[in-house]
Amino acid sequence: MAPRRGATRRRFLKSTALAVAGLGLPRALGAATADLKLKKPIKIGCQTILSGPLGGYGEFMRKGATLATEEINAQGGIGGSPIEISFRDEELKVDVGVKNARYFVDDWGADFLIGIDSSAVALAVGEIMPSLNRVLIVTHGATEKYNEDLVFKRHVRQCFRVCVPVYQDGIASALVAKDLPVKRWATISPDYEYGHTSWKMFRAYLKRFKPDVEFVGESFAKFGTVDFSSHISKVMGLSPEGIFSTEWGGEAVTMVKQAKLFKVFEQTKAFMIGMGAAMDVLQGLGADYPDGVWASGRYYFGYPDSAENKRFNDAFHKRWNTYPSYPSETAYTALQALKKAVEKARSVETEKVIEALEGLELDRPAGKCVIRKEDHQAVYAVPWGQIRHDPKFPMPTLTNLKVFTADEYYRKPPFAPVEG
Amino acid sequence: MLFQGLVGLSEAMYLWLVAAGLSLIFGVMRVLNFAHGSLYMLGAYFAWVAFRVSGSFWVALLAGPLVVAAVGWAMEFGFLRRVYSAPEAFQLLLTFAFVLMLDDAVKLLFGPVYQSPPTPAALSGAVLIGHSILPTYHLFILGVGVLVGLGLWVLLWKTSFGLVIRATAADREMARALGVRAARLFTWVFVLGAWLAGLGGALSMPVRAISPGMGEFIIIEAFVVVVLGGLGSLRGAFVGSLLIGLLHAYGLLFMPVFELALGYMAMALVLIVRPWGLFGIREG
Repeated sequence: MAPRRGATRRRFLKSTALAVAGLGLPRALGAATADLKLKKPIKIGCQTILSGPLGGYGEFMRKGATLATEEINAQGGIGGSPIEISFRDEELKVDVGVKNARYFVDDWGADFLIGIDSSAVALAVGEIMPSLNRVLIVTHGATEKYNEDLVFKRHVRQCFRVCVPVYQDGIASALVAKDLPVKRWATISPDYEYGHTSWKMFRAYLKRFKPDVEFVGESFAKFGTVDFSSHISKVMGLSPEGIFSTEWGGEAVTMVKQAKLFKVFEQTKAFMIGMGAAMDVLQGLGADYPDGVWASGRYYFGYPDSAENKRFNDAFHKRWNTYPSYPSETAYTALQALKKAVEKARSVETEKVIEALEGLELDRPAGKCVIRKEDHQAVYAVPWGQIRHDPKFPMPTLTNLKVFTADEYYRKPPFAPVEG
Repeated sequence: MLFQGLVGLSEAMYLWLVAAGLSLIFGVMRVLNFAHGSLYMLGAYFAWVAFRVSGSFWVALLAGPLVVAAVGWAMEFGFLRRVYSAPEAFQLLLTFAFVLMLDDAVKLLFGPVYQSPPTPAALSGAVLIGHSILPTYHLFILGVGVLVGLGLWVLLWKTSFGLVIRATAADREMARALGVRAARLFTWVFVLGAWLAGLGGALSMPVRAISPGMGEFIIIEAFVVVVLGGLGSLRGAFVGSLLIGLLHAYGLLFMPVFELALGYMAMALVLIVRPWGLFGIREG
């Protein structure tokens, strides 16, 4: 592994040089990549949920972003400048998210912004990006209003996204559901943008694929729900045959555990959780995760079977002693995309980087991907699969993967309204 | 219909255990313990550790709350007793500081990942009620909640320790003048309150995801319960918890859009009509 040793030596030399002589030293060590002669680090502000019952999520994003930063810096940084990354807790609150973005740009001097878990925060921060005049790459918040309305219809050009939108939760799920022996669906989902928009999309598309389905009930749980018992008993009172859910993080863990107590898995034919294959949920439920539950995410560590994905998994496991969750991959990819775009543009200027990002092709851990020019949305495919317990892994994994092409389930410009 | 109420009542039991300790501590010591939710969180984490070590849910249920009681003792003995004579704002600040410290301590010690051991086999069954399925665990929780209520009633009304607690709660100066050693009593009351919160947390361990910050959600509801029932009244805390549980369960069924607001609306209503709470004692 000669290149790796070289990289390590370079990092060692570089940190020594920095320690001895400070930043003023001529940077001959960045010669591996095009030197933009910025003479300063490229600052990237990342915000994610780092506290409360969903804090495990942000931790995975932080790990992915940190790994990318370390790898890129070991290879000489972006255009010869090292990345300096800073993390702030988004708290899933709109006012906090906006404040973080302003702080990053106005006070800390960020060149780029990445992260954001909440759809509502993504929309709110997206609104102020023209005034901040920086590129924002969202790595988790998934509402379609971000790429379809904000970017495509209203031309907020600073906004990009490298994770699959709710098309994963609402349309790919419907492609799975149409072949399941279920006619009566109900949902238990979060009572905010993401939960409502996913359920709306699922209903609209499933009805299109399979006109005789019925949607018999819904129970929306507020953020911070610690007990799902009343939601479960309400929904089960309507005798559904299938449950569709977009609960995530610790709330998905609690919901599944309690659904198990209520014997929901014996009484229904299918249970689908859009974010059920996120690593924190797989690890959190462990042996308690019932076999056969349909789950997905915005990346699943076991897919695709490619050299890049294997390399990423190995590097991540070596660095953090856990398998990556999807925010790890999307944050990792956001930084790789920025590196590629800045070096292509030979500049960190917002306008030039936007142009470089539009249509950019990436070979990311999740597979080949292109950033669509019209709506600044990264297009790649993530499978759905069924939970199983494989003794080779310390947590449940997916089997029976259903792989659809992005072309089959991504909504396309000009984005006809979702009826229903 | 009735079944939904039963489920709501079982959810209310965790709240009752937290609110009972909160109310008891306020009633006797006049301290509003913001960190009470954090003690609930510690109960879950310590029980989880005990479960990992022993492999037994029952050992975890016993050990977790006891360790929390010890933490409660350290909190009262080391910190709180120094601010009893300080203005209430200082007491609130101190207990709030504990919320932040305990959250971060848990994050440092156990990591931010959710933990959730399996539900014990003996309690993971279910019973059929009409056409609906109620988990055995929910029945168990209802039983524990009622038992704790009875236990507290016996302790407060049938023992001399209870007599001293009630006397001190009613008139602190008089009790002290009659020879009650308030300092020691306060420690015991706080330890008991902490144990109750720890028990709630330990009971939640196998059925709710454990995570740092899990106490912050329950403490707000517990405050609502205590205000609703009357500060310092255990009967109030019990009835308040049940009321919140029922409002939540039936709110979801009949007016899901307002469900979140119902508990707060009930609290506002009580504050307007009976500012001292349903079972509180009118002061002055």
